[in-house]
Amino acid sequence: MAPQAHHDLMVDTTHDEHALQSYVSNLRMYILNEIGGGLSSVYEGRVKPAFEKRAGHAPQDEHDVRHAMMADPYCRTWSTMMRSCQEMIWDSIIPSIERAQPELNIEATRLAEHPKGSMTLDPNVKIPRYVSASDIHLMPGNYHSERGANDVSQGALYDRGVYVYAAGNGGPYGDSIGRSLAQHLKIRFPDLQPERILDVGCTVGHNVMPFVDVYPDADIHAIDVSAPVIRYAHGRAESFGKPMHLHQMNGERMTFEDESFDLVMSVVTFHETSHTAMKNIIAECKRVLKPGGLMIHMELPRTAEMDPFDAFYIDWDSYYNNEPFYQAFTSTDMKAAYMDAGFKEENYIEVMTPDIYAAPFDTFEAAASGPETKAKRYGRLGESIHWTGWGAWK
Amino acid sequence: MSDKIKITPVNRGKRPAFFDDPAIDQLMAIVMSMSAEMSVLYDRVDTIERLLDNKGTLSRDDIEAFRPDQDTEDERNVRRNEYIARLFRIIHEERESLVSHDKMDEYNELMDELAKP
Ligand SMILES: C[S@@+](CC[C@H](N)C(=O)[O-])C[C@H]1O[C@@H](n2cnc3c(N)ncnc32)[C@H](O)[C@@H]1O
Repeated sequence: MAPQAHHDLMVDTTHDEHALQSYVSNLRMYILNEIGGGLSSVYEGRVKPAFEKRAGHAPQDEHDVRHAMMADPYCRTWSTMMRSCQEMIWDSIIPSIERAQPELNIEATRLAEHPKGSMTLDPNVKIPRYVSASDIHLMPGNYHSERGANDVSQGALYDRGVYVYAAGNGGPYGDSIGRSLAQHLKIRFPDLQPERILDVGCTVGHNVMPFVDVYPDADIHAIDVSAPVIRYAHGRAESFGKPMHLHQMNGERMTFEDESFDLVMSVVTFHETSHTAMKNIIAECKRVLKPGGLMIHMELPRTAEMDPFDAFYIDWDSYYNNEPFYQAFTSTDMKAAYMDAGFKEENYIEVMTPDIYAAPFDTFEAAASGPETKAKRYGRLGESIHWTGWGAWK
Repeated sequence: MSDKIKITPVNRGKRPAFFDDPAIDQLMAIVMSMSAEMSVLYDRVDTIERLLDNKGTLSRDDIEAFRPDQDTEDERNVRRNEYIARLFRIIHEERESLVSHDKMDEYNELMDELAKP
């Protein structure tokens, strides 16, 4: 794992904690690639033939595949390893944060003293049930747990957790999706010169921060329902010297004025909400967008476009990694959802971009300048990493 | 001493058992944790060896303060990955030697054939 870019809210680890986190990330990559890479041959080689023999037809959908696969010993072993490894990620980080927390909160407060950006907290924001009811991706305490005044501990846990989870493949700033998106938009829509940009569900700001670099003239706003992650995001941005305006706010009911943003975005926020919340957020995005502005949401690929095995693989997390909305979300038709919210069909766009860190720049550029590309397999299923998004012009 | 915070699950739900006997899931979790403990220990030994190579002496503070540079981390990654591959060989091997049930039948036939007097 390459080192994470250092900022003033990063938590010190002991020699052994560092060694443990490095190991857990090596182990995760092994389970994901080396063991997980065998799942499709297990499926084709024995699970599917046995299903066909028994049922008289091929598995019809991801549920058929799941029931058959979860009875197979190889898939069970892979699953139990995935689950344990996810728990180990958090466990490898928690002690260092418990130890550092009092100083960390003080440091966050210090960083907020002479800000280039700003922070607005709103204690009236209620934590929605889809956040409070489940420790998403098994992160203990989820996004919202708050331990005393000025607490940032869940922000620190998330920041390090996703870095270990991705084994640093998201780049030193963990911003690969946001940086890929920002660069893609810049190349693809040269006339888009946003003055105000909004990110919905920013957590600690990983994927919105690159917009400060790519659109240096824009004011960058980002919201989240959780105060601890907003405090952490603010301190982190200030520590990196990137001006950003952080707000504790619910995307379903924003307090921004109508038609006040040129670009409204989110990165992997939708799949952690609910069907109703997603619809509310889309409607709010439309309200705060200026006419001619662009809304774009980067998210998981659509399972409707996949064969049942790939859909099973993508949605595994929904069942076994505490992602309760994941499965329903990946089967949602985004275009239809946007049109329901009043966006016009001809203004609908899709983004499919190679990862800016993994792809050679010409490949990246070609994907942004050419006609809309469709990869055959996406994200962690593909040979190369691609990020997908759904958008609409207002 | 001030009270340290505790970061604990608030809403994790029931842990799924993937095997019919949940003890197998537990055993696998224990093996994985043990594998991690051993790797940490190995990194610590590696740190001690590097400090001894460079300075000829060491103290606990030296060990605690040691942070691998990228070259060291790269070497450790290679070693850890080889270690993981050795440890979980039996699982990975199944991926290589996937035998469908029919092939197993063929093998049983072969056994019968070879055993014929
Ligand atoms: C997976 S994280 C998003 C990651 C982040 N966009 C990034 O790029 O690193 C989902 C976040 O959305 C926030 N969230 C969920 N529902 C929300 C809502 N209705 N309004 C604002 N934030 C919300 C959660 O608190 C959580 O921090």
